[in-house]
Formats: sequence, structure tokens, C-alpha cells
Amino acid sequence: MSSPGQPIDDVNLLLSDANQHLACGADIDELLEQAADGYAGQFTSHQRDCVYCQAALREFGRVWEPVRSLAAERVAVPAALKGAVASQIRKLVADVWYTLQLNDGGAIRIAARVVARIAREAARDVPGVRVAFGRSSHSRMASLVERAALGHRHPNAAVGVLGRTAVVDLAIVAQYGDELDAVAREVQRRAVAELRRKVGLRDVTVNVTVDDVIT
Amino acid sequence: MARAGRLFRHGGGTVGSDVDDAYLVRRAQEGYVDAYADLVDRHGGLAYRVALRLLGNHHDAEDVAQEALVTAWQQLPGFRGNSSFPTWLYQIVTRRALNRITRTRVTESLDLLGDVSDAGAGPGQHAERDLTVDAVTAAVSALPPPQRIAIVLHHFEGLSNAEIALITGSSIPAVRSHLFRGRRTLSKTLAEWR
Repeated sequence: MSSPGQPIDDVNLLLSDANQHLACGADIDELLEQAADGYAGQFTSHQRDCVYCQAALREFGRVWEPVRSLAAERVAVPAALKGAVASQIRKLVADVWYTLQLNDGGAIRIAARVVARIAREAARDVPGVRVAFGRSSHSRMASLVERAALGHRHPNAAVGVLGRTAVVDLAIVAQYGDELDAVAREVQRRAVAELRRKVGLRDVTVNVTVDDVIT
Repeated sequence: MARAGRLFRHGGGTVGSDVDDAYLVRRAQEGYVDAYADLVDRHGGLAYRVALRLLGNHHDAEDVAQEALVTAWQQLPGFRGNSSFPTWLYQIVTRRALNRITRTRVTESLDLLGDVSDAGAGPGQHAERDLTVDAVTAAVSALPPPQRIAIVLHHFEGLSNAEIALITGSSIPAVRSHLFRGRRTLSKTLAEWR
């Protein structure tokens, strides 16, 4: 316990394990908490008149200053983090492939996620669409894809040859007040057109689910 | 006009910023991988930041953040939304970081100063600031894991004792006690350094 009249110049002494209270009776851990939380300068009515408390708060505040300034610093997130996570997840989710051509030169295949991405981008351009997510599936393969996506432990067997037929599910969030039916039909029309134009898919089914609205 | 503005939002804004985490979680659970990518966009920084503060070096932090974000995807089907997505992610990152701490406890503090300097500003610049950062980082890393977790989540992430108790599966009094002890230890170390 610190003795009256003696300045608190040694934080270590003050914080020795046996020390729980200042000479005035104030709880040392609570003072330390106050200073560490950044309130060293905001005195209670007792602290306004107490030299012990004020000295302790000043010392604790000084010691904690570097911690508080480091905590306030913005941490730059490594640019590669998101890509690394995405690539690991792609490995976990077995991909379905659309084979567009199979000839002597080899096969041209496009990943289902690419098909889904194109549909998603097309949907996002439609007025009234606030958010869109694409998911590609195929009626015959739908359950496999579903399981692959949900269970995340699918063997390579899910890599399927689907030819030029695609089924894409789009989940969209629409602007409240818009004609949802018209928005959804426009999403369908644009997604189908884009998939035909960009991928060369012939038979395209686009299921649109409006599952939320935003004002 | 507002609507016209939306049409041009592709410039760089976060996709899906209009919707809340719970919506993205539901879509991700249905297999919309993009929805999870948006969650990573929003909260990937949290995972890295906490890992960095707990582990004290960039390399381990990046590893642990990545592990945690992939683990969260794998465990997403079981996430019932009882807590917020960030709280759940804090839980996963903290657990992962703890695994790494206990696995490498013997050697962990050896190269801390060097590693953290790399993550800071350019070499030779802000030498004093780097020294302070190094000292605080080393002091935090030297805390026993329970105190370290409580200190990082409270003083670096600004979480309440109740939130920390939820994340660590502990009680509020226990969190408070870890914080008290952690603050004492940290203060003594920093006072000596100064």
C-alpha cells in the first residue's frame, strides 16, 4: 500500500501482487481499468479531491498510452487473404463443368461458377435489383451440386459433363415498391441473353427468387 | 436519381453492402459461394487483426486468419445464427490462434520483434514508433493465453466483457479477472521497458 505523501513513481511497486488498494482505499485494479479504457482524465467525485487516485491514474494512463495508440491503428489486411480463402473454398466445393466443345484438339469446359458469375453480373445491372447471387445447377446434377455446396466434402465425381444446357439459380434482393414481377422477368431475360452471348450455352433456364426487398 | 445512382454502383463498392450479415449467411448456407465471399470481404479484416494481435507476427496471423475463414465456411451449415457472424468468427479465430500459441509456445517470442517490424512502415522509418509497437506487441505476446485473449478482445477490439465471455465460452467474472491480471502484467512490463 502506498504511504501518504509519497509520490507514486513506481508502477511496479504499485502493482505488486499484494497491493489491492491505494492509501485512500480506492481499488487499484479498477483505477487501472479506468485508465486502460481511456478514462484516466475523467475523475469521479472522490478522485477529484484525491491525490493518490490522480497520481495513480496519471501513471497508468502514461503506461497504457502506447497500447491505446497501437490499438487505434488501422491494421492493413494482406491483399492475398481473400483470394487464398476463395481458392481453398473452391477446392472444397466440387465444381460442375459445362463442356462446350469436344473435338480432336481437346475439350473446352467452363466452370459452373463462371456461368453463375455471368448471370449474377447481368442481374446486378437490372434497375430495381439491389443484390444478386448466382448459383449454377443442373436438374440431373442439382442434388449433387446441392450436396457439394452444403456438405463441402464432395469427391471429384461431382465434376460432371453437362453439355450446353445450364440451369442457373439467382437469388435477388429488390428495391421495395418496384414491380417485382417485371424486375424478375428482366433479370431472367438479361441473364439468358448474356449466357447465350458470352458462353454459347443453348438451353438456359434461369430461376429467379426474389427473397427480400429493401426500401 | 437515387435509382440511377444504384445502376453505377459497380465502380468498387462492396457487393451486397445493402444487405445484412444474416442474409449473406443464409444465402451462403444455400450454396451461393459469392455470398460467403462478401462475408469475407466484410469480416476478413477482423480475422487477420485479431490473429495478428494474439500471435504477434504477420506470417502466423495470415495463416490463422485463412484457416479460420475456411473453417467458418466448412462449419457454416451448422451456424444457427444464435450470435452475430462476427462474434462467431471471433470464436473460430481465437480458438485457431490458441491452438497455434500452445503448439509453438516455446519458440514463439524469439522472433517477434523482427516479424512485427516487417509488417510496419518502411525499414528505418519511424524507428521510435516501431520500437513502441514492438514493445507493446512483445508484451502482449508474453501474456498467458487467457489473459492475452481477454486483453486483445477488450482493449484492441473494443468488445465488452459479456461479448468476450460469449466468444470464449467463459463467464463474465472470469473474463474480468483475466483482464485485471493481464492489465497488471502488461503495465509492469511496459513500465519497465519505458
